[in-house]
Amino acid sequence: MLTRRAAGKLIAGAAASTTLAGAGFRSALAANKVIKIGITLPLTGADAEGANRIKYGALLAIKQANDSNAVKGYTLVPVILNNATTTAGQYDPAQAATNARKLVADPEVMTAIGPEMSGDGKAMSAIYSEANIATITPASTNPDITNPKYASEYRPAHDHAAVYFRTVATDAYQGPYMANYYSDVLKVKTVYLLDDSGAYGVGLADAFEGQAKAKGMKVLGRDRLNPTEADYTVSLTKIKGLNPDGLYYGGVMGAGAKLVKQAYGILPTAMVKGGGDGLLAPEMLTAVGFPAAEGWYCTIAAPHLTQNPKVQPFVKLYESTYHTQPDDYAVTAYDAGLVITAALASLVNAGKPITRANVREAIQTSKTPTLQGVVSFDQNGDIVNKIISVFQVVKNTDYPLTDIIHQFKYIGTAPTS
Amino acid sequence: MASETTSTVTTPASRAAIRSGTLRRYGAQAGMVAVLLVALLFPIVNGNAGDIDAVANALAFAALALGLNIVVGFAGLLDLGYAAFFAIGAYTYGILSSWQLQPAWSSFWQPFAWLDLVQKVTQGDTSVVHFTLSFWIALPLSAAVAAFFGVLFGAPTLRLRGDYLAIVTLGFGEIVPIVVRNWASLTNGAAGLNGVAPPNLFGYNFGVEITPYYYVAVAIVGLLIFVSSRLRDSRIGRAWMALRDDSIAASTAGVDLTRYKLLAFALGASFAGMTGTFYIAKLQTATPDMFMFPVSVMILVMIVLGGLGSVWGVVVGAIFLQLLQSWFLPAMSGWLHSVGNLVGSPWLQQIQLAQSIELIFGIILVVMMLYRRDGLIPATRKQKALSFEQQNAQVGESHGFRMSGIVREEGSAVPALEIKGVTVRFGGLVALKSVDLTVPPGGVLAVIGPNGSGKSTLFNVVTGLTTAESGSIRLFGEEIIGLPPHKIARKGIARTFQNLRLFTNLTVMDNVLIGQHSRLHTGPLGAVLRFPRVRAEEAKARERVIEIIANFGNRLLPRADQNVAALSYANRRRVEISRALATNPRILLLDEPTAGMNPAETLELAQQIKDLHKLGLTIIVIEHKLDVVVRLADTVVVLDHGEKIAEGKPDEVRRNEEVLRAYLGRNAQAGSAGIAA
Amino acid sequence: MSPTTLFVQQLINGLSLGGMYALLALGFTLIYGILELINFAHFSVFLVGSFIGMWTLEAFGLSGQNVIMTGLPLIGVLLAAFVVSMFSCGVLGVVIERYSLRPLRNVTGPMAMITTIGVSYILFNIILLGAGADTKNFPNPLPELRFHILGAVLDVRVLLIWVVSGSLMLGLWFFVQRSRLGKAMRATAQDPDAARMMGVDVDRVILIAFFAGSALAGAAGLIFGLYYNFTSYIIGYTAGLRAFTAAVLGGIGNVPGAMLGGLIIGLIESLGGQYVAVKWTDVIIFSILVLVLVFRPTGLLGTLAPQKS
Repeated sequence: MLTRRAAGKLIAGAAASTTLAGAGFRSALAANKVIKIGITLPLTGADAEGANRIKYGALLAIKQANDSNAVKGYTLVPVILNNATTTAGQYDPAQAATNARKLVADPEVMTAIGPEMSGDGKAMSAIYSEANIATITPASTNPDITNPKYASEYRPAHDHAAVYFRTVATDAYQGPYMANYYSDVLKVKTVYLLDDSGAYGVGLADAFEGQAKAKGMKVLGRDRLNPTEADYTVSLTKIKGLNPDGLYYGGVMGAGAKLVKQAYGILPTAMVKGGGDGLLAPEMLTAVGFPAAEGWYCTIAAPHLTQNPKVQPFVKLYESTYHTQPDDYAVTAYDAGLVITAALASLVNAGKPITRANVREAIQTSKTPTLQGVVSFDQNGDIVNKIISVFQVVKNTDYPLTDIIHQFKYIGTAPTS
Repeated sequence: MASETTSTVTTPASRAAIRSGTLRRYGAQAGMVAVLLVALLFPIVNGNAGDIDAVANALAFAALALGLNIVVGFAGLLDLGYAAFFAIGAYTYGILSSWQLQPAWSSFWQPFAWLDLVQKVTQGDTSVVHFTLSFWIALPLSAAVAAFFGVLFGAPTLRLRGDYLAIVTLGFGEIVPIVVRNWASLTNGAAGLNGVAPPNLFGYNFGVEITPYYYVAVAIVGLLIFVSSRLRDSRIGRAWMALRDDSIAASTAGVDLTRYKLLAFALGASFAGMTGTFYIAKLQTATPDMFMFPVSVMILVMIVLGGLGSVWGVVVGAIFLQLLQSWFLPAMSGWLHSVGNLVGSPWLQQIQLAQSIELIFGIILVVMMLYRRDGLIPATRKQKALSFEQQNAQVGESHGFRMSGIVREEGSAVPALEIKGVTVRFGGLVALKSVDLTVPPGGVLAVIGPNGSGKSTLFNVVTGLTTAESGSIRLFGEEIIGLPPHKIARKGIARTFQNLRLFTNLTVMDNVLIGQHSRLHTGPLGAVLRFPRVRAEEAKARERVIEIIANFGNRLLPRADQNVAALSYANRRRVEISRALATNPRILLLDEPTAGMNPAETLELAQQIKDLHKLGLTIIVIEHKLDVVVRLADTVVVLDHGEKIAEGKPDEVRRNEEVLRAYLGRNAQAGSAGIAA
Repeated sequence: MSPTTLFVQQLINGLSLGGMYALLALGFTLIYGILELINFAHFSVFLVGSFIGMWTLEAFGLSGQNVIMTGLPLIGVLLAAFVVSMFSCGVLGVVIERYSLRPLRNVTGPMAMITTIGVSYILFNIILLGAGADTKNFPNPLPELRFHILGAVLDVRVLLIWVVSGSLMLGLWFFVQRSRLGKAMRATAQDPDAARMMGVDVDRVILIAFFAGSALAGAAGLIFGLYYNFTSYIIGYTAGLRAFTAAVLGGIGNVPGAMLGGLIIGLIESLGGQYVAVKWTDVIIFSILVLVLVFRPTGLLGTLAPQKS
């Protein structure tokens, strides 16, 4: 009884205050109209760390757009929704679907950034499609969602127009291109694979495996790491026993940090060790550090980031505003924000009305200069530029050992076949 | 007051109890109609698809909570791996309605194609099977599949005690998502299913439109509330609660523990299976990450908050907690963000209250367990206290025990109970050593002996609670040694316990009704549908109970709907005896029935036992009070250190030297004054 | 690497894993022996212990990247860390028992166990909210010392684990078997009412058992950090389930049983991972848990206390 009454009061209070506060916020910028941009990420639970970095990247882009009045006459307002629930302990596709519906129901929402997890994307895509809302994901890499084979499932409406855009290359590219790199550049003949049981890691390792076999590499074995487990010495010993030329890890830092740390004492230094863009994260330097991280390869779906003059100020600004360093996905999220800003600006400058259909179309046809280079999308929503850059952790004593820009050395681009 | 033996007995007190129950029922029905109206009108009043989706998810969890409530709340089996059944139901539908499996087409599949369960899809020159299981068929199908797994996972836990049972279920709850993740060819592994088909109703495809899903959720929750309530108020529910409160007493009262535990697991799992299908049809995808341990814990938190065993309580608990995390807390966070924007506080702008929700849930669990174990909406509502008059009513005069249904068996040649050479060993201790005993039909046997002599063990071995190493026990000629307790109860042996084993969360009426369990035949289907035959059977059973407890005058009758925990010690003894009588026994085993009673009550009970004897019931009594023994018994058997040391008429035994030595020690002087009369 | 070397190396891996599980299982089994309570919170206390250990070491100026110390300073710092971790976790355990479990001591059913689930959630969420979800680098003051056996590598840390676990086990064993307090504990485990009647202050005995068990969890947490050089909010979960299985396998309530069980589970994990696949390790271990509970609930070495009916 007590709880019901209190709950009722809570709803009433929250509703009233949200309206009041919203009105207050808006009245402060009375001159501008509002465009809402949804940001849907698993902000609590197991994936919270990475999700928050993505959020900051997106918010930074939106903030800069507002500060520079990039979209004249409009203020961009982020609507941040949490895709995670305690019930799941992490990302929750059901909550993601609810969030998508929430955004659809709000007429001021024109577009969105997110989700991070492909599992969420599978639940959200069709809902966005029905409403013709375009979303740009900075991190969801499962190819199925944009695969034309599944178009009737993931974009059933509006003639299968793409709504799930990506500023990151899918597993269909990252994995195989790295396999090419292993085979052609690093001359790896035998390889062992690991994944971290997550959708991203498994997909990435699967894609690598397929291409590795096609290139004639012998896959000596494959196993799965449990991210909640502490000790991977059993797997590492097994790998050592098989003595492959190279090891490839598909997954994020949850398991990755422990893997890299423990591999240092067990695997020979000569063995090629690498992973995907999940490894390009601050934990590689803070939790793992040197000498363990030295020599590990990782990839990023962008041309050589470090040479881009815009990157350094971005990293500095990001760090000073949010007190953490950006990772690869923070960059792609920022870039997503830039794409949206440019698309909206182009509509305003052309005098076209701001509608969901127009925004989607503008994003579809956009060519935006970003930190990654010029970003544009194909008719499925995938990023056109599929350059996979290869980095290696190399100790650079000129800079602090946790500097994410300078401790990852750019090596080159991965061969596309 | 008490009329002739077989007719219904109603007293002013019991009539008042019935009337107030009726009033409460009408009030409850009006409340339910109001809730139903709100549920039906909600999407019309609030058109926001996001909100409707949030409530639909909350309803799905309410359905899950109802299912777990059966296992944990009704039957008292702590299942920490309940999400496994949720996963099984989800993937059953998901796999059979998506493109995940594409076996090669062959004529084997043709009949399934005719039934619209599969489709033949031709690509080039190969044909494959596309599974197109209809959502509506999948609902009961997943329920059945999940029920099967419920039995499978429940079977290993049958003999385990509470905490071990929980751990085993936890283990299964861990195994299922791992298997789903690793068996990628069946489930698409960690990436999740693609393209699960949405439901289709008479050609209308649900798509992503949320409102039809919402109504399906309302229907499912309504159905499950109905089924839960019906089960709770039936023979099945009573059996579950009995086994929860005291499984030993339940089994000796005739409840088949194995069957009812498995039934609880199966039915609980079936709720989750059905809900899994619904959940996944709405989402059109499924990943193994959705069904991990935290989900099982959350459902547990929901039922703890709502009230274990309380049907409406768990629904409220589930909906409240779901909405808390998907609606209220994010809304509050948003509000705090706006305040932060106004005030310029970056901390407020960043705050995510939802992050602390796991912390909140932990606090809820601890606080509820410490301070409000019954939950917010307890299953057993507070009963009205008895009126002053009722409490102080004069104990009515004894009219002698009246009970129908006892078969007079004296004169039959076959002994009622024949125990030959029974030996019971506990590790190194021999509790009973080759004991022989014969009880003629209609006879009264008293078993006496010093503490630790094996008297209760004797009862335990006769009722099947303890296994004998060797020997034979025949009930009216039929060998019963080795049978489980509920079968022995069914064959006609009833007992009471030295330390009282009542079902502490149930009423007097329910406690005694359990005795009737093995004489009734209603199964789960009948319990839910309540056929006229079922209602008649229930009514007759209740009449029988009233008939029995009426014999104790106005001690028990006015308290029929009171929780037994509120009764005096002596009254609780009477309830236990009534429960034993309700099993329609041929032999009644009473283990120190007058313990804790004052001399007047003892005398009264002794007289009642004598009346039962006069009606033809065979009785075996363990007693310390020798005046009772002398009054009642035809024969007395004396046990000492597990051996029978004397047998005979009460007076003979009283003077027996060995008996005196056993009671008083080696140095006692023999003599009739030795034992107090 | 030759097959023999591989086998020996996995054996060593299994032993080090086993040592960790045994250490964690020790405190858990001690508490179960007294209260017959499955204390989920134990593994969150373990987590707290590792964070406290980390903060203590950082307070001494050790942090992040390897700082090697030797001799007296090393021993002094380690001792300080152990004392602080064990003591604070012991106190935490006492607080948990006194305020959330004692009120439920006479309540039958799963209530107490459910409460420990709640306490466990509270503890690890406090760490999560306070320290963040990312993996933390644990200071590494131990010297790098390796031995070679049949070609396989034996790190000095493995010895550390076994020396510490072994001594703690022996210490606990003597305490429980020989000391008066230990006798009081065993009496309380067998029959609290009888013990009370014999003059045993049951409440105090239980508090002491909780203190000791939780202190052991704290020690395990510190050793975990020293061994793996990392800690994070999630370490209690999987390690906890494995340690629990170890305790059950060995005989819940039985101190040598916890060691034996830990050893076996560690070996199953390493040899199973090598010769089957790591991805099935959890399934194998849970199946063992189920089988043991169903077919031999007293475990390999039997229980300290007879089962409540």
